[in-house]
Amino acid sequence: MTAATRTALRARIDAFTFHGESRPALRDVTLSVTPGSLTAVLGGSGSGKSTLGKLLAAWLRAGPAGEFRGSLELDGTRLDFHGAPDDPRINPAEWSRRVAFVPQDAASMLSTVRATVAEELAFGLELRATPRADMLRAVERTAARTGLSGLLDRDPATLSGGELRRLAVGCAVIAEPDMLILDEPMASLDAAGSARIEELIRGLCATGTGVVLLSQAADRLAGEAMHWTVLDAGTVTAAGVPAQLIGSAALEHAGVLVPGVLRPEAAAVPGQAPAPPAAPGPGPARLEPGLELRGVGFGYSQDQRRGTGPRQRVLRDVDLAVRPGEIIAVTGPNGAGKSTLLRHFNGLLRPTEGDVQVCGRSIAGVPVGTVAASVGLLFQHPRDQLFERTVLREAAFGLRQLFGKAEAEDRARAALAGVGLSAAAGAVHPAELSASQQRLLALATVLAREPAVLALDEPTVGLDRHGLERLGRAVEAAAARGTAVVMVTHDLSYARATAHRILELDGGCLREL
Amino acid sequence: MSQPALTVTDPGQAAGRGRRLLEIAGAASIAATYVFLVLTQPADIANGPASFSALVALGGFLLGAVLLIVAVLPVLPTSTLVLIPVALVLNVVLGQLMGSTGLPFYIDAIGTVLIGVLAGPAAGAATGALSSIVWSFFNPTVLPFAAGAALIGFLAGMAARIGLFRRFYLAPVAGFITGILAGVVSAPIAAFVFGGTSGLGTGAIVSAFRAMGDTLLAAITKQALISDPMDKGIVFTIAALLAYALPRRTTFQFPFVRRFRVLAGKAPSAPDA
Amino acid sequence: MTLRLHPFTALTAAACTAVITTAAASWPLSVAVGLASAVLAVRRGVAGRVLSAAAVILVPLFLSLLVLHGLFFPEGHTVLAAWGPARVTAEGLRFALELGTRTAACVLVFLLFSFTVSVPDLVSALSARRIPPQFGFVLASTLTLLPAVAGRLERIRQAQETRGMVIRGGLWSRAGALRLQMIPLVLALMDDAGSRAQALEARGFGSPGPRTSYRDVADPPAQRLFRAAAFVLAAAAVAARLVVSWPAGGPS
Repeated sequence: MTAATRTALRARIDAFTFHGESRPALRDVTLSVTPGSLTAVLGGSGSGKSTLGKLLAAWLRAGPAGEFRGSLELDGTRLDFHGAPDDPRINPAEWSRRVAFVPQDAASMLSTVRATVAEELAFGLELRATPRADMLRAVERTAARTGLSGLLDRDPATLSGGELRRLAVGCAVIAEPDMLILDEPMASLDAAGSARIEELIRGLCATGTGVVLLSQAADRLAGEAMHWTVLDAGTVTAAGVPAQLIGSAALEHAGVLVPGVLRPEAAAVPGQAPAPPAAPGPGPARLEPGLELRGVGFGYSQDQRRGTGPRQRVLRDVDLAVRPGEIIAVTGPNGAGKSTLLRHFNGLLRPTEGDVQVCGRSIAGVPVGTVAASVGLLFQHPRDQLFERTVLREAAFGLRQLFGKAEAEDRARAALAGVGLSAAAGAVHPAELSASQQRLLALATVLAREPAVLALDEPTVGLDRHGLERLGRAVEAAAARGTAVVMVTHDLSYARATAHRILELDGGCLREL
Repeated sequence: MSQPALTVTDPGQAAGRGRRLLEIAGAASIAATYVFLVLTQPADIANGPASFSALVALGGFLLGAVLLIVAVLPVLPTSTLVLIPVALVLNVVLGQLMGSTGLPFYIDAIGTVLIGVLAGPAAGAATGALSSIVWSFFNPTVLPFAAGAALIGFLAGMAARIGLFRRFYLAPVAGFITGILAGVVSAPIAAFVFGGTSGLGTGAIVSAFRAMGDTLLAAITKQALISDPMDKGIVFTIAALLAYALPRRTTFQFPFVRRFRVLAGKAPSAPDA
Repeated sequence: MTLRLHPFTALTAAACTAVITTAAASWPLSVAVGLASAVLAVRRGVAGRVLSAAAVILVPLFLSLLVLHGLFFPEGHTVLAAWGPARVTAEGLRFALELGTRTAACVLVFLLFSFTVSVPDLVSALSARRIPPQFGFVLASTLTLLPAVAGRLERIRQAQETRGMVIRGGLWSRAGALRLQMIPLVLALMDDAGSRAQALEARGFGSPGPRTSYRDVADPPAQRLFRAAAFVLAAAAVAARLVVSWPAGGPS
């Protein structure tokens, strides 16, 4: 290794366009990273953060991935790209040894061919023909650094979300890169998991690694960064030190979440405020409950979930009544059974004791697909719920049988307008939407059926500021129409801002908070 | 130790000729085995199970499949290589799903055809052969059919290359022709290695031809000519449906799709690099 | 379980047994090989899985062979019974027995191998030889993805039922539902594969050159010797069969 290297990464992206697309995903972006520093790239969902990160780390390369005009400079070596066939071709293995990238979906970092955490860590070293003795030492060192020492013999497929993310970071840093680019490292982690990642990143910075954080939230870690770059619709709209940018219009327009700043605003949307927002109003007491659970108990049998002991009780004697127009939030620690509770509302899971009633009728024995006409459920992973070729067809799916041909399209368009996706309706493939928009599209498909009950599983996860606002608006509008809303969330502040009542699920029982 | 370069030069064509020879040798091995088997098929199988023909069929076809894999696999780009496990899983899972609908077909090559369409004939052939080898982990009887599976993947790639997937109605036609060829090539395996077919429905068709006095190989070949073209027609149609349901960003990342304009629709606005 | 077989030893044993059984073409040997595999499966504690997997494959094959050769065997001379065009002949039954037992023996031997081998060891052993590392990747990755895909398919089905999909009895309705399940599955798998390709390249997968292995798979000399002997034996069996029945087209 050369002595006294002052590796710096500089990138100038005039335009980067994916093959088969006409609009560049990134244009006019410049970024430079110095060793040992923390840099944050902030932007909403679909702003091009991930594309930028992958381009910097040679995960996306000119030629195979798309057309790139601009330059990349690493450690004094400058590569210029003109979108021509004779452009330099980056050697991904060598580039990534110096500039490593950890994707948002940590699982996609894994090779899927290694049986233990230790072997997964060593995979990259094996491919570089590292002698076995060195490999053993490097694995031990990296495991200690990432807090994986106790998990080295585990199968990577059995790790929790936080452990998986640490393994992905470990796989990236085992080759001792000069730069590390992390895409949403805190996404869908609980507080404890986030804290460990934060600690790990601080440690890396302290030992001289230049860290680039790609995030849609200006959270605690981003606050420690020396430099912020705000990315909006594929281009840089602001750059500077955090103190200058916090509260700036550019940050707000980009849809970046600033914790503690915008939550009340998301609920109090100007323009339409028919329902009393945060006030836990009594609601129309005349009506029967939209959704009622009576003494519901449930346990997974042993063979369905291995290793949980003999038929573990997840729910016991749960009573719940949600009136039309009422918004209820259910919170609780990870693994308390919140999602399990939600799956009882439309019959995906059937209670072992008690009864679930929708609009006064028991759903016992009614197929899920039929209950779906009156119960809309939004899952955590919208991708599984989407399957059509265009956004409009997606929202109109199944409406024709319910409302007739003419009305189906009107309703679909209205639902899309309600979540701000009108512009994408006809031409866009659902898979090409940003994660935030996919969630909103899934919400629109549910709302278009005007269900009596709306159940949302962790609706805020992964949404940027615009997404949160639209979600809040759509949920309120649904409640104003008389929909009974139940949302499961670990985000207590969001629950306080939107729900009329908050319940906590703990030890299988529900209680008012 | 000198630092490796951050960039790579254009891959040289020197190794290309060796690989091409291996490919040709693999294809020749399969073709020669087939011709040999047809010419020397036992006149009277009543003398005993056709062990000789079975060994020749197994040896020749497996050698061909392995040569093809050895020729193609090391030069496949990683983006195609990672799709092969996906294709294998799709072959298995979609095959089972189709089985659950009660349709009288095996539909076990959807993933192979999809790879052929997206990544070209060579990748398709490797996927087909590997599919049989990996699947034989759970069902050893598919192993001898590796050559036929490679042929299906190869022909799917060729069909895509000459533009048969640009028109939706041409895809089943391409599948039909592929089915004829693949069925004929696979028939000696069914006849000499297994002595029949693994399904009762197909078995009944073979029985009918046998009742008319055909030799076993002829009867199984005729049966294959009845069921395989239909089956592959369906498989190609499903693969076309899937290819068009995928977003353009996904399909256009394949140089093969861009270069030969495999799928209908306007070409990307940016000129192909 | 004191004797730990190198994956190649087990593979060689299985392949050579299958080849010799095929070459020998004698149903008593086939039955003996099948029984021996079953006994070994019981001793290794995988009998349930091996036998059920084998049954799924072999029962339809047996029935098909029995109907095919048992009833229609134009080459047969010794007619035991006849109904119209169908004739039960001794030669046909014997042919069905020979082929059925031979296939059964080979299937059992290979299933015994695949249900007892440690896949990580096998992949590691493959990459230590001059076998393209891509082959090991395809094998291991497929075996990892298969169970994951089953879980994913279940999630997709649940999500779609939640959106009001009712799967009715009709063939078209079921085929339509199937299309809707396949699209998100294929899309998600291809998406994941795309990012996995990028991650693998970044970790050095695409680059040529030597590789090392973290996992250490012991390969005692005795097992190497065994493998060599098995190869010779199998080759001899094949050669013998080829010599004995070569003039297939000539005087038989």
